[in-house]
Order: sequence, then structure tokens, then C-alpha cells
Amino acid sequence: MASISVPVGAHGGAQEAEQPKLRVSDYLKWSVDHKIIGVQYGVTALFFFIVGGTLAMLIRWELLTPNLDLVRTGAEYNTLFTTHGLVMIFLWIIPMMAAFGNYILPLQLGAKDMAFPWLNAFAFWLIPPAGILFIGSLFVGAPESGWTMYPPLSTLFTGDGQTLAALAAHILGVSSILGAINFIVTIMNMRPPGMGWWQMPLFCWAILATSIIVVMATPFLAGALTLLILDRIAGTSFFDASKGGDPQLWQNIFWFYSHPAVYIMVLPGMGILSEVLSVHSRKPVFGYKMIAMSSMAIGIVGFTVWAHHMFTSIAPELRIPFMITSMIIAVPTGIKIFSWLGTLWGGKIRFTSAMLFGLGFLSMFVIGGIGGVMLAMIPFDIHVHDTYFVVSHFHFVLFGGSVFAIYAGIYHWFPKITGRMLDERLGKWHFALTYIGFFFTFFPMNLVGMLGMPRRVAYYLPEFEGVNKLISFAAFVLGLSTFILIYNLIVSLRNGKIAGANPWRALTLEWATTSPPPPTNFISDPVPFTDPYGYGSEGSQAYLDEIDRRFGLGEDTTVPRPAPLPAPSAGD
Amino acid sequence: MASIHPPKPSSGGISGSTIIIVIVAGVLLILGGVLIGTLTPQLFPPPASAEAKPVDDLFHISLVIGGAIFLLVQGMLVFSIIRFRAKPGDTSDGAYIHGSTTLEIVWTAIPAVIVVVLTILSWQVFDTIFTPKPDEAKVFAAGARFNWAFTYDVPLSIMPEQVDLTKLPEDVRADVEADGLLSVTSPILYTYVGQPVVMEMEPKDVIHAFWIPAFRLKQDLIPGRTTSIRFTPTIAGTYPIECAELCGANHGLMRSEVVVLDNEQGFNQMMVPMMDEKIHPPADPVLRGRKILSSNVYPCYTCHVLSDLTEAPQPWAGNVGPALNGIADRVASSRASATGQTPAEYLYTAVHEPSAYLVPGYGALMPQLNIPECDAWAIVAYLATQSESGSAPFEVTQPAQCVITDTGAAAPSSEATVEAAPTGEATVEPTPAS
Repeated sequence: MASISVPVGAHGGAQEAEQPKLRVSDYLKWSVDHKIIGVQYGVTALFFFIVGGTLAMLIRWELLTPNLDLVRTGAEYNTLFTTHGLVMIFLWIIPMMAAFGNYILPLQLGAKDMAFPWLNAFAFWLIPPAGILFIGSLFVGAPESGWTMYPPLSTLFTGDGQTLAALAAHILGVSSILGAINFIVTIMNMRPPGMGWWQMPLFCWAILATSIIVVMATPFLAGALTLLILDRIAGTSFFDASKGGDPQLWQNIFWFYSHPAVYIMVLPGMGILSEVLSVHSRKPVFGYKMIAMSSMAIGIVGFTVWAHHMFTSIAPELRIPFMITSMIIAVPTGIKIFSWLGTLWGGKIRFTSAMLFGLGFLSMFVIGGIGGVMLAMIPFDIHVHDTYFVVSHFHFVLFGGSVFAIYAGIYHWFPKITGRMLDERLGKWHFALTYIGFFFTFFPMNLVGMLGMPRRVAYYLPEFEGVNKLISFAAFVLGLSTFILIYNLIVSLRNGKIAGANPWRALTLEWATTSPPPPTNFISDPVPFTDPYGYGSEGSQAYLDEIDRRFGLGEDTTVPRPAPLPAPSAGD
Repeated sequence: MASIHPPKPSSGGISGSTIIIVIVAGVLLILGGVLIGTLTPQLFPPPASAEAKPVDDLFHISLVIGGAIFLLVQGMLVFSIIRFRAKPGDTSDGAYIHGSTTLEIVWTAIPAVIVVVLTILSWQVFDTIFTPKPDEAKVFAAGARFNWAFTYDVPLSIMPEQVDLTKLPEDVRADVEADGLLSVTSPILYTYVGQPVVMEMEPKDVIHAFWIPAFRLKQDLIPGRTTSIRFTPTIAGTYPIECAELCGANHGLMRSEVVVLDNEQGFNQMMVPMMDEKIHPPADPVLRGRKILSSNVYPCYTCHVLSDLTEAPQPWAGNVGPALNGIADRVASSRASATGQTPAEYLYTAVHEPSAYLVPGYGALMPQLNIPECDAWAIVAYLATQSESGSAPFEVTQPAQCVITDTGAAAPSSEATVEAAPTGEATVEPTPAS
């Protein structure tokens, strides 16, 4: 047998590390263990997902009819979608991706922790105070200028909550930057022997690309927010045209961060997708290098497209170059989609819940991508800019993309994190309701947008009532589907089947240790398989069998084992 | 490192049957895309401008291409799901294939070509939309939370009767003498079929976006800048105007209409009554103020309640600012004394410099609307009559230059005349002509 087929070093590890019992209280305390921090990120993010989702339900309730019925004033409605956007972006998707990054990335690299464990904990603990500020902002003159906070609306016309929200976003930006520096250093320095750049799992590539974007872009958000806060509380007038400032300055700086921020939210999801599609179709990722490099290309080109958010405000002749870059960025995205389809082709697809969400991502994200190219066409964009067409587009990208990927990641890695399997039957119900609810919530928005309904309105023309009712009811289905996941998470934590070390028979290193991993992650230095996606290659079965033998099997039979193995060790 | 990569499946010898399958699939996809593009019901409001058709055509081209890509991706997904699903009990892995340079080049090149084509087509449409047309009519648009006001410069010659310049109110005469054109403002945008229009736009407060869905055109109004939008209406009718950029509480109500008339005569017919009102304003400032407010030219109605103005095309039912019912009593009893001004001065300041004094509980939300001085004084005179008793609890003295002799307007009601009498302190004499 080839020497490579052994997941852990030949010597050492004879003594299995005693699995420490983690209590709930361990997760409420300061800890520098990346696994605890990862769970802290994840649970915090899920909490805010419920908060943001509740706000979304209120928005859809209000929009059941063309006039006000749920809220008393249009201003109240504005606070709903403003907070919904801020919470979903800054407190759900970005921290949730950081949750996966924190938990999974050091394990995939065979490392014992992140490069800077203390900094890692500090970055997390910035989030709760920011979350409190966001929620507190609702009670002191809630912000009503949208998550985009365009001045002068955000400087001259909204309450003190706006300042708090800006401060909160500021703090979360600091948290992101610290986290990103940590990821970059970890990836650069802590790969194990035998893992060159091109043997690194694609999730790590995605986190690397994301972290580079975070480090380069987020300081611009910080700059913009500082100017905004100064305008609000210190009497400056950076954005006040009547005193020589320029409101468009904000748009330029803000989108210089916020367009790359879309990739901050989507690229880790794409990384998750590469893992899930490959593992659950038992086939190497098709075009590994192209996927890794397209993440980098998206990261770089992503910095040159920001003004397409300003196609109706900047001088017309300046719009053309941004149309060209916005079109170019579709190419690396297309490469990824076709590479993933190539990954499925000729595989042995297993329809686990994780895989269903992965496939759901592919089929929904492509709609977001096509909509994105349409929006890059200036003349068409001028018509649908700031309409429900755009709302549909970015939800196809951020929900159909990022959130579907997060769901896939949860079903894929929950066994590793907790040692228990999620209920697959509930997972399939969750997928079915989410997929249908999602499509009928966001696809019809294209239609009302093109027909003439602007976004961010509490009042709309009566002829759009039918479509809006359909959208709202679908949204309620989508909202309810979330609780299947929450229920599944809670119940499975206690009663789920014992997962074993490697329930999916995956080759990346996070599976070459117990579930959950011991505090030091690995009992001895793990040895990565030559190809992180070498399914079907010679030696891969032996490598996977060795993991099963070393760490024991779980109770789950979703993925059948090729040959009978020694009886599973009794899990506790 | 003993891991052996199995030989890559050769990408060289593509068999004839593969080529046929690829060609057939390609043709089917394109047909499918065309089908999606043509079968999709009308997704836009009916087009009403010269700019709408090229935009719609561009969209339909992108829908055909996007439809084909959609079918390709979903088709491959569904095919893979059916064809490559693991049979129960199958423990083997899929084929150990890492990629195919040929395929990767193909699926990089095809999207690249598609986006180049779409970019070129978009650029062409962009040029037709933004190129100035000959003989454009100029309109000026102001956006303020939460209404639109459109100002036209119209030659006096369209008036049915000869206008005696010397008899015009002073500000109107100054306007006409500057360029021979009279400015009239309306909350509705009037235009006519075939007339290219260039509209310059400025906001009074925050960013707004002017959007006529039927024209497929949109442009932001940005504080500190003048932006413009060009269109040529092609079909007569009335179409909604929306504000597309979040501007505050009643953003969703910041609507108006564009009325496209059949021809220039129709357009002039709409202008004449507005001009007539400017040329022959009621002498009574109370009546004049009432007319100004009920015309909805200023956005006051979007934030204030004033139930007296029942004739206004849009109701005075805004809930953003203080209600104006009974305003005169409140000004007389408390507001004026709180600021040390006379009630009339206070009201004038409130209209003219809105953020000088704030009613407790309300922020500095009201924009500087730059209402002309005499209009502002007329509004003050009218607001002074909004009291419980129905008569003004305090006097409003019109400045001399704002006193208007009867310029031949329809005789105002006798009540108004009586009421106005005590306010007209300045002698009713025509101001000296220049």
C-alpha cells in the first residue's frame, strides 16, 4: 500500500484523546479555540437570521395590499427594510461564512488552530455589541435610509438610530478585517507538509480570495462610515451639497466596498459548494485550478465594477467602462457554474440534504447570474434600476447563492461539528419548501419590477396587488421552512444518529479526526491525501477505510461502506 | 508520494456522434431560448416613447440568450440528476476525471463572446438614448419630498388674447421680459407626441429618481447637481411617473403622471389656463395663496394635513409634518410668542426658512422650497385664515411689491374681498413700469 494512504502519522496517536464534554456554558465564554469560536459565530448568525427573517415577514405582510395596513407610517416601513438589509448582510451572511471559515478551515489545513487564536476570539466578540447597537437603533429614531444609507437622507433626515447603525457597521467592519487577516496568515503558513497551493481544498481558496477582498475593501466602508458619522454628529458636511459637499462621494466609496462585499458573501458559499458537490457526487472537482483562479479573478475584477450601482446617477459617459467590467465578471462566474456541472457529470450522485441544497444553489444562482448580465446592460438597467427586478436579482445571488450554500454547509458539516447527523427526512422537507418558497418569492419580483414597481415602497399601484400577494404567501412558506431547519438542529443535537468521523467518506482533512474533533483537532499530525478531491482514484478507498478503522464508524448508513468493517465503536 | 493519477481521459479524439449530439443540443437550446423570448408575455408596460423600443428589443435579445443558458444549465442538472444518481448500495466512486482543457476553453470563450455582443448592442442603444435630438423642448423638473413639479417656458403668443405686459404682476413681467417666455409650473408633466424633450432636474432636499416606466427611462436627481434626461413620446396617453430612489417616509407616494397629448395644439391648450392664472392672479392674497397651495405645485400636501383644501387634485393628508388645520390659532396663541415674532412674520419664516424654528416633536425635515416672496406672502395670508372661527386671528400685511391690482381675473367671491380688505394696507397702485 502506498505510504500516502494513511490519514494520520504512523507514529503517535496510539492513545486516543479523551473526548472532553463541552457544555453550553463553554460557548458563552471567551475561548480561543477556533471550533468554539466557529460555533459562537454560527449560533449568533442564526439568531440574527431569525431577526432579519422576521423583519422580512413583516415587510411581506405590509405589502399584501397596496396601502398601509401593518405599519402606521411609511417611515416605519422604511425602518423595516433598512434593518432587514443591515442585519441579513452584516449579522447573518458575513458572520455565518466566518463561522464555516473558523470551524472548517484550520481542520482542512490539518492545523491545531488559527494563526492568531486570541485575535480570532476578539473578532468574534465584536459582533454581540454591534448586534445590540443595531437592535438598539430601532428604539432611538430608527434608521430609515436603507442599508445603503445614501446621504443626505441618512445625514439630514433620519433619527439617531442611524448613527448607532453606522457605528455598528463600523465595528463589524473591524471584526471582518481582523478575521480576514487571520485567515490569510493561517492559509499562507499553516498548511501541512504535502499540501501545496494546488492541493488545498477549494473552500480554503474561497476563504483566501474572500479575505483578500475583505482586507482591501472594508477600510473603504470604514472611511465612508466615519465621514457619515462626522456629518451626523460633528457638523461636517462631506455629503451636504448645500455646504460644498457631495452626496455622490458617499455612493462611490460605499459601493467601492459594497460591491466587493457581494463577493465577500458569495465566494465562501462557492467554496462550500465545491466541497459539497464533489463529496456527494463522489467525483473530483472538475477544473480545480479554474475554480480556484476564477475566485481570484472575481475578487480582482470585483473592484472595478462598483459604479454599475450608480447607472442612473453618474455622468452618462462614465457608465460605459463600468458596463464593460460588469460584463467581464460574468465570465469567471460562468466558468464556476460549468465546472460544477462538469463535477456532477459522470459522478455517483447521492441525494443527501447537503447535496440537494448544492444542486438548488446551482439551479437558482444561474438565474441570478443571468439577471446580473441583464442589469449590466445600461439601457435595460436604466429601466429596472431601483426596482423589484434588482431586489429579485440580489436575492437570487444572496439567498439562492449564499444562503443555499450555507444550508448545504450546515447539513454537510453539522456531523463533524456535533458528532451527530441531522435528520435527512426533515432536511428534504426543508429543501423542498425552501426551494419552492424561494422561487415563488423572488422570481415574480422580476415581473413587477419590469412593469413599474420601484423597490423600498410601502405603497404601490393597485395593479401589482395580485403578484405581491403571491410573493408574500410564498415568502411566508419560505419563512416557515426555516423553522424545520432550526427544529432539526435542536433535535438532532440530542437525538441525531452518531455520525462517526467521516459519515460522507470525504477526503479533505477535517474528516480525518473524530467528530467533534478533540481540542487539538488531530491526535497526531494528519497526512493529507494527495488530491483533496481524489474520489475514484487509486488509494482513495484505502485512505477512507483507514479513517473509518482509526476513528470508528457512526450509525448512519446514508453513504454505504464498500466492505464490511469492524463493528462500530460504541459511541456515547 | 506514490499516488498514481490514472491517465486522463483523452480529450483528443472526439467522435462523430459526439459532434452531432453537441450540434443537436446547441440547436435545441437556441430554439428553446427563442421560444422563451417570444412566448414570454409582455413583461413591460406598453411602450410610449421612441427610447422604449430599442430597450425592449435589447432585453428580448438578452432573454433569448439568457433563456438558452438557463435551459443548458437546468438541462444538464436534470440530466445529471437522473443519469448519474448512485444506485442503492452502489459504493463505488465516479470517474476520476480532473477536467478538460478543451471544455474549459469552450466555456470560457462562449460566455466571453456573449458578453462582448451584449456590450456592443447595449452601447448602441445607449447612444441612441443619450444623443441630443434637434429641436428639443426644454422642461425643468424639481423633486421634493414627496412630489414632482415641472416647469415649462412658454411663449406668450399662444395665449388667445393679446397680453398687455404693463398690466402683469411685477414678478411675472420680469420673467417674461427676461426671455420672452413665461414660466408655468405644474405637478403633472405635459408633453406631446413626436416632440423630443430634454428635461433638466434638481432635487430640493434628498436624492430622488425620476422614472417613467412606459418610457423605460430613469435618472437620479442629486443635490448640488443638475442632471438631465431625454425622451421623445410616441403614443398619446397618460402614464405613471414614479420616484425610484428612497427619499423618506412617503417615497412610495411620490408619484405623478406624464400626459402625452396628440399634438402641439393639445399641449398649448393645457398651458393656457396655467398661464392665465399667472397673468391674471386673483387680487386677494388669501385667494391667491389658496390657489397656490391647492395646485399641488409645492410638495406641502405630501407631509401636512389641511382639510380646507378639498379642491386640490391630491388630498392634503400627509402625516410627516405638523397638521395645518387650525394653524392660525396655534401661531397666534403660542408659536409666535415662543419665537418673538409677530404671527405673520412667524408664518412667513416657517414657509420661507423652514428650519429656522421647529415645532416641538418635528425634525428639520422641510426643504427650502425657494417659494417666490410674493407667493410665500399669499400663502401666509391664506394660512392666517385657518382658524377655528374661520377668520384670521391676526393681520397679514402684504409687502408693497406683492400687492396686485385686479388684472382681470374672474371676479373673486365677495366674502374673500371683504376679508382681504383689511390686509391690503398698501395703496392699490400699479407699480411704476420700468
